[in-house]
Amino acid sequence: MKEPFVHKTKFQWLILFVMLMACVEKIDFDVPAANYQLVVEGMITDGPGPYTVTMSEAMNVNIDSMIRIPISKATLTLMDDSGKSETFTEMRPGTYSTTGVIQGQVGHAYHLRIETADGRTFESEPDVINPVGEVQDIRFEYEKRTVVESYGEVPADVFNIYVDADAGSEKENFVRWRFTGTYKVITDPAQHFTWNPPYLPYRNPFPCSGYMLTGGAPGGLLVQVGECACCTCWAKHFETAPQLSDMQLISGNQFKNVKVGEVPINSATFHEKYMVEVEQLSLSRTAFDFFKLIRSQKEGASSLFQPPSGEIRGNIKPVNNNDPVVGLFYAASVRKKTTFIQKDDVPYPLTPMEYITYPCYDIFDNASTTKPSGWE
Amino acid sequence: MRRKLILFLLCCGLVITARAQRVIDFKLDGSEQGKSLATYLHELEVSQQARFYFLPEWLDKFSFQESNRGQNLGEALDDFFRGSDLYYVSMYANVVVIVKDPTQALQRREAIQAAIKQNKKIVRYSFGDPGKSARSQIIISGNVVDAKDNEPLFHANIQLGTTTTGTTTDEAGHFSLRLTPGVHVLNISSIDFETKVIDLVAYDHGAINIEMEKAAILLDEVVVNAQAEQELTISRIGEVQLTMKEIKRAPSFLGETDIIKQVQNLPGVTTVGEAASGFNVRGGSVDQNLILFDGLPSFNSSHVFGFFSAFNSEAIQDVSFYRGGIPAEYGGRVSSVLDIRSRDGGFEKWSGSAGIGLVTSHLMVNGPLKKDKTSLAASFRTTYSNWLVNSIRTDYADLRNSSIAFYDGTAKLTHVYNKKTRLSVSSYISKDGFRLTGDTTYQWHSVQVAARVDHQFTPKLSSEFIAGSSTYGYHVLNDEARTASDLSYKITTTVLKAGFHYQQGTHKINFGWQLMHYRFNPGSIRPTSPESNTKDFSLNKQTSIENAFFANDEWSLKDNLFLEAGLRLPLFLSFGPATINVYEQGLPREISTVTDTLHYGSGEITKGYSGLEPRVSLRWNVGPTASVKFGYNHLYQFLHLVTNSTAVTPVDIWQPSGTYFKPQQGDQVSLGYFKDFKQKNYGVSVETFYKRVKNVLDFKDGAQLILNEHLETDLLQGKAFSYGVETFVSKNNGRLTGSINYTYARAFRVINGPSTRESINQGNKYPANYDQPHVVNVAWKFNLTRRHFFTGNFTYHTGRPITIPLSVFSFENNTVAYFSSRNQYRIPDYHRLDVALVIEGNHRKTQRVKGTWIFSVYNVYARKNPYSVFFKSTGNGVPKAYQLSIIGTVFPSISYNMKF
Repeated sequence: MKEPFVHKTKFQWLILFVMLMACVEKIDFDVPAANYQLVVEGMITDGPGPYTVTMSEAMNVNIDSMIRIPISKATLTLMDDSGKSETFTEMRPGTYSTTGVIQGQVGHAYHLRIETADGRTFESEPDVINPVGEVQDIRFEYEKRTVVESYGEVPADVFNIYVDADAGSEKENFVRWRFTGTYKVITDPAQHFTWNPPYLPYRNPFPCSGYMLTGGAPGGLLVQVGECACCTCWAKHFETAPQLSDMQLISGNQFKNVKVGEVPINSATFHEKYMVEVEQLSLSRTAFDFFKLIRSQKEGASSLFQPPSGEIRGNIKPVNNNDPVVGLFYAASVRKKTTFIQKDDVPYPLTPMEYITYPCYDIFDNASTTKPSGWE
Repeated sequence: MRRKLILFLLCCGLVITARAQRVIDFKLDGSEQGKSLATYLHELEVSQQARFYFLPEWLDKFSFQESNRGQNLGEALDDFFRGSDLYYVSMYANVVVIVKDPTQALQRREAIQAAIKQNKKIVRYSFGDPGKSARSQIIISGNVVDAKDNEPLFHANIQLGTTTTGTTTDEAGHFSLRLTPGVHVLNISSIDFETKVIDLVAYDHGAINIEMEKAAILLDEVVVNAQAEQELTISRIGEVQLTMKEIKRAPSFLGETDIIKQVQNLPGVTTVGEAASGFNVRGGSVDQNLILFDGLPSFNSSHVFGFFSAFNSEAIQDVSFYRGGIPAEYGGRVSSVLDIRSRDGGFEKWSGSAGIGLVTSHLMVNGPLKKDKTSLAASFRTTYSNWLVNSIRTDYADLRNSSIAFYDGTAKLTHVYNKKTRLSVSSYISKDGFRLTGDTTYQWHSVQVAARVDHQFTPKLSSEFIAGSSTYGYHVLNDEARTASDLSYKITTTVLKAGFHYQQGTHKINFGWQLMHYRFNPGSIRPTSPESNTKDFSLNKQTSIENAFFANDEWSLKDNLFLEAGLRLPLFLSFGPATINVYEQGLPREISTVTDTLHYGSGEITKGYSGLEPRVSLRWNVGPTASVKFGYNHLYQFLHLVTNSTAVTPVDIWQPSGTYFKPQQGDQVSLGYFKDFKQKNYGVSVETFYKRVKNVLDFKDGAQLILNEHLETDLLQGKAFSYGVETFVSKNNGRLTGSINYTYARAFRVINGPSTRESINQGNKYPANYDQPHVVNVAWKFNLTRRHFFTGNFTYHTGRPITIPLSVFSFENNTVAYFSSRNQYRIPDYHRLDVALVIEGNHRKTQRVKGTWIFSVYNVYARKNPYSVFFKSTGNGVPKAYQLSIIGTVFPSISYNMKF
């Protein structure tokens, strides 16, 4: 009686070996709707204005793409510590700008007052512009890398970007480095084809390409009616997490070898050349903490033992209501340095850029057809 | 003088059963006919030089009849006394005592008859002379030892007849019991040993020596029963002895017997996840449990992040667990004590055990190096579990590229110098390797060596001396060329302890001294390849000592009232060299508020703490089947576990108290009611507790803890409190045995600093990470036959609190999640059913190899219990919540264990 049972069990567990044991799957929590939470983002610098503040609704965690819902028709007022104030103008829905009445100055404190269209008032805590040191040197170093994708290992080489910088004030060193990378990309939306089976594919350019299909499709005539307005773009890379000075050693009031970003090497980023822009910002304690929390959230995200993230508190507080608000209106002194990485700096020849028949700004993240200042 | 008398009586006790001709066997020769019983007994006193003790008026109504002819005296007395309130006891060959109001004696007879039926060993002792007995109380003391190796058995139960009165042996196997003069039956039981019955006729103080034999034939009912009795009548409040045998029969994951997992099933104990290392006791955090292995504190109780207990169950003699009523002997953690003692080798012959499971195998051998003098026990366990991790099917590639390896081993040498002195040296080693991603390897290890001398100065005063040292450490190795590094951490602990046990009358006094010296290497990192850009960096080493004096008195105030009162006096000192930041008064501790730096030289005291720790536990037996217990503890904890993940990970940091970290101080009050029903067939208990702990540590949001030179800037101290009710029902006899426990308990924290930056959740009360209000555990064992058992357990607990993202927003092109206040949400509830079929080999003592098959099915209905919930950014930067279920499916396993 017993023996067959044993064998059967053995057999079963052999099969079950093959089955998974652990599993990782999505989990949903019942959370309050996010859309009545106000998000405020803005800053004032010691550089010339205009200074911009954006207001939007927070998004639900279950969304699949980031679509900001702007908050329009709010009244925003910028105030400094001498009692001067200036009202913002709404340039685009949810984007408000100053007109240059107030100019940020080191040593002065600024704050923001918000009144939404439905009468709710919010205010930011005053934030002081602290002095900041200069970015002295930007360097890049090639690094060979691969990543494991579902279909195997693929190269993912990068240039690491390092800076040396002056620490500025010796007292409080709340420094942030903001990395922005810009690269030029070319697409050919005039070569776009449409294919509606069972018909044959036919050429159907995007209107922005400057070509038009006359006489209806298919079989219409292709006519150039203007310049291409979506063939050349400058796309941007932003830092994946804020780079902050608390992790850096200071020697002789100098920051050395601070890694501020990574530039992925591929045929698009080095189609022509790559512009590296590093801004060094002096922050107040509050702003620094805010970015620190963002950083811990971004950096912890890949670890199985990730520390739980905390509630991110900014400096915007509700005045006449209890509605949730998150955001930061901060004041900073900013120094900027720019450098270029040329195509020749990549230690091997790159294949030509992929032939893309869509408008460039639809394909590349953070891409625009406006040539950035500093790009020659 | 009395000693001599006792010795003499002891000898009598031992030889008495050997003497054949006793006066009660005297054959009536017919001369008795018509005489009154009293008269005839007086005649016998003369003719047979016998002594009979009785009052003449008791025997007035009895005279010999025709029906007595041919009987012997005993049979005749039986006939006379049947149905009366008289009873006789034959003491020495020529002494017979006739007893009036024979409750005691009848109980004795019942107990003896029951013992005979159950084939228990009965040993007889007599002390004193009933005729001369002037005492109203006598004290019987003694030693209980393992017959095999003379190892004292502590926590053996001494139970008086079928009543709830009794005691337990202390550390040195001693006990003493206060009785009324007369006849008694003592049941001596100890887990895994055959119950021994002492037939005692005592009219004077006496000492008995009890040798217990390992239960080779499995008397489950006795074992379970012993456990139940112990819980009900003998034990302190909150004390549990774990039986290795029952642990081995419980369903287990991958067929691995696991002590820690069994502890997690006890009332009042919870765990935060499937494979979570560590456990939470009565709303305490995982660092508040003192785990002792042979007297040395263990900083890591598990392999593979909690999959397996770090202690091989084959190497363990016994395990005691205290969650309330902690004796003064123990200190240094505020919630519980798990005292694990390794086993000695046999002194007579070599034997061993081995087991093969799905992922681990173990081997244990033990035997005499020199017969009756020196013995050795050694065990080893290792894994081949790499496939386990590799079989995890997940999109989360990290887990798939992982590897696991571990081993542990113990060796123990015991030498008996004489009956009074024995020495044992035990060692333990454990090592783990866990590769999480392609580049990162976690390695952690524990090594310890401890020597222990047990010495008996006088029969009333015995002692033990422990000296030992242990090291716990880990490495996180990174192999990636540019960042190749080795992050290491280490604690070295040296322990000295002297404990004395003194027995005087109704007092059992323990006192002693303990010294622990800690050396922390709180973290260092060094590059491991020439091209690595990691900087060589080390945190300052830290040195501390924890010194304590303790005294404890177990006092039998009355037959049914026991008081244990103790006091512990700890002193904790932290030493230099150290560099300590001074922060501006009234401002949050931050690098920007540092005003000065203090330097301390080597050996200079940087900070000291001392305190008083009163301990009280009270047991009151209300009638024969019920008891009320009360316990109060005050404890200090000088070491803090610094962690910001929920479960213990092997890379956590232990931080000694010092300038900025005050010791945790815990107070616990517990009250319980225990009752037996139907001859101990069922047991019911209810315990309630309230506990508060001062100075618990919690981390600030976004804290970086590893290689942090100024942890005080990232950690906050506050209060924790918890309360709850634990209910427990057990069925102890019959084919089906088992237990159900339900606990309702809450655990909260309040961290309210002077500013919001130094507070958590604005200083409001929030649930602790491990707050699990409802916990249900059901365990059973059904005997299909004598050798086939169907066992199982079911466990349920409320999901633990968690902090989750409520919304997302974009800030300067970064997608950022907006998290809730700390611990405001909960992960899904945890529940799981496991079953096992245990097939034990032949129970005959002659069988050379005893094999046991265990077929178990873990997580029968394939519940995907979340072990952890983590957030992973999707392509657009929105963090999505994922749950990791470690055992996300039904998992059958098979293991074979054998003893030889």
